[in-house]
Amino acid sequence: MKKVKDQAIWFILPSAIGFIIFFIFPFIISLGYAFLDKPVGGQFVWFQNFIGLFQNSSYQKALRNTAIFMGLCVPLNILCSLGISMVIKNVKRYKQLFTLVFLIPLVIPSGSMVFFWKMMFANDGFINGIIVNLGGSAIHWLETGWALFVIVLIFIWKNLGYNIVLLIAGISSIPKDYYEAASMDGASKWQSFKFITLPYLVPTFVLTTLMSVINSFKVFKEIYLITGDYPHESIYMLQHFMNNMFSSLNYQKLTTATTVLVIGITLITMGLFKIERRVAE
Amino acid sequence: MRKNYAILIVLSVIFILPLLITITNSFMSEAEIWLNYTTKLSTFDLVGGITQKFVKFVLIPASVTLSQYIAVLFEQPTFIVLLMNSIKITLPVVLGNTAVSLLCAYAFTIWKWKHKEKFFFVYIIVMLMPLQAVLVPNYIIADWMNIKTSYLAIILPGIFSPFGVFLLRQSMKAIPKEYFEAAKIDGASDWYIFLHIVLPQMKSGIAALSMLVFIEYWNLVEQVIVFIKDYYKEPLSVFLSRIADGQIGLIFAASCVFMFLPLWFLAMGQRNLEKGIELSGVK
Repeated sequence: MKKVKDQAIWFILPSAIGFIIFFIFPFIISLGYAFLDKPVGGQFVWFQNFIGLFQNSSYQKALRNTAIFMGLCVPLNILCSLGISMVIKNVKRYKQLFTLVFLIPLVIPSGSMVFFWKMMFANDGFINGIIVNLGGSAIHWLETGWALFVIVLIFIWKNLGYNIVLLIAGISSIPKDYYEAASMDGASKWQSFKFITLPYLVPTFVLTTLMSVINSFKVFKEIYLITGDYPHESIYMLQHFMNNMFSSLNYQKLTTATTVLVIGITLITMGLFKIERRVAE
Repeated sequence: MRKNYAILIVLSVIFILPLLITITNSFMSEAEIWLNYTTKLSTFDLVGGITQKFVKFVLIPASVTLSQYIAVLFEQPTFIVLLMNSIKITLPVVLGNTAVSLLCAYAFTIWKWKHKEKFFFVYIIVMLMPLQAVLVPNYIIADWMNIKTSYLAIILPGIFSPFGVFLLRQSMKAIPKEYFEAAKIDGASDWYIFLHIVLPQMKSGIAALSMLVFIEYWNLVEQVIVFIKDYYKEPLSVFLSRIADGQIGLIFAASCVFMFLPLWFLAMGQRNLEKGIELSGVK
């Protein structure tokens, strides 16, 4: 028998070097900038940049809007996808086909749908045409607080499929015997949903919540492509704020905002995992 | 039972309608597009007593023509240039990320270093960061390397993105450990095991990853705004919204050409995409 050396290190090296150069190293540099008063020859200023950032009214608006958007989208997305997954699970034929329908919006590039959405929600767009023909008055969808509603709608359209795939996999992994035992005990459909399906899906819910939170940042693509550089203030998101800082190359604001976001996402992730562990016990 | 099908069919129609209208209208003549999608009033309208016009969505064009596609593919050199830009960014990322991630995922599978899970955890944390959190570090390093306005600023972080490592490691867990051990005892090198035992069993994992990466980079927006300052270097993903503002006579065909590849991949490998989504869940 020949002795074989552990060659794992050669396999990991390409990825590890690139990962450290393009992610870890600049993350650390970025963290450093967040505590300096200017990028070149700056002094350590403790949390001054953070205080300045949170006092910035554009940042407050961006943070609030991003939070509101997530607060609406994440639960709505999970509720809708749960409903649809249960229905798909209950039909006997064409399951794959129905899942396919909900996956299509996920793969279509946002740019390909821009013109459609614009024509749908423009002031003289399709929806306003219907409203006016029915005797109502036109709504300025993208130039008022309704913009948030429109964006939520488009987000749900695009992202339902992702959760549906995860939930169908979750539902399929629940042992069938549980439902049979429950129905023998005379449990109604609603009861077995409430006492078997829901509790068993908790890990899946944690997962879909996490993925929805992360994916909800991607809605910037639609907002930017449909409404351009200057959207209505109800859909002014974190990425808009970052773009403004990029164009003025404000390193302090950029790196501080990045640090806050990294901490925020890490806390949310840890919180969700803690919930999952508690439920598992 | 009937009710379930009815719900699903109604929902499916609603979900598919934006796509359907985009596809059917790509066969519409330019004149008909202007008629349906412009709402400026002509003197003709005013005489007829029409005071306000709205956009009309028409599912079936009055006359079917390929003129939009001919205009987009043969008469608009910019469109092809921008489509090529999308390919120039997406292809290296998909190939590079898959290759690098395959090697790394294999290393994490066979590595016996006691801190490897901790190191892997760093990959997961970075993977969970939304693009907005990664863009600034990407910008800093691109600035240092002086590649700020080149595609490399987008491609290189894409190749080393930790997501692929995570996904493929998840997928590799399905291969029984005994395979590796048996081969090791027979004196096979890690390279041999990687090429002849692991790779053949990773086909669907690789397909799932390349599909997810492709979809993401084909739909590139944020990085373009930050890094690409020249219109003609933009990928089509961003430029389509500019076409939508101007040449509405060919926007539908342009949209269809751009979404053809992702839709085709979905049709070919729906199961792979689903698998990719299932595996990408952190558990």
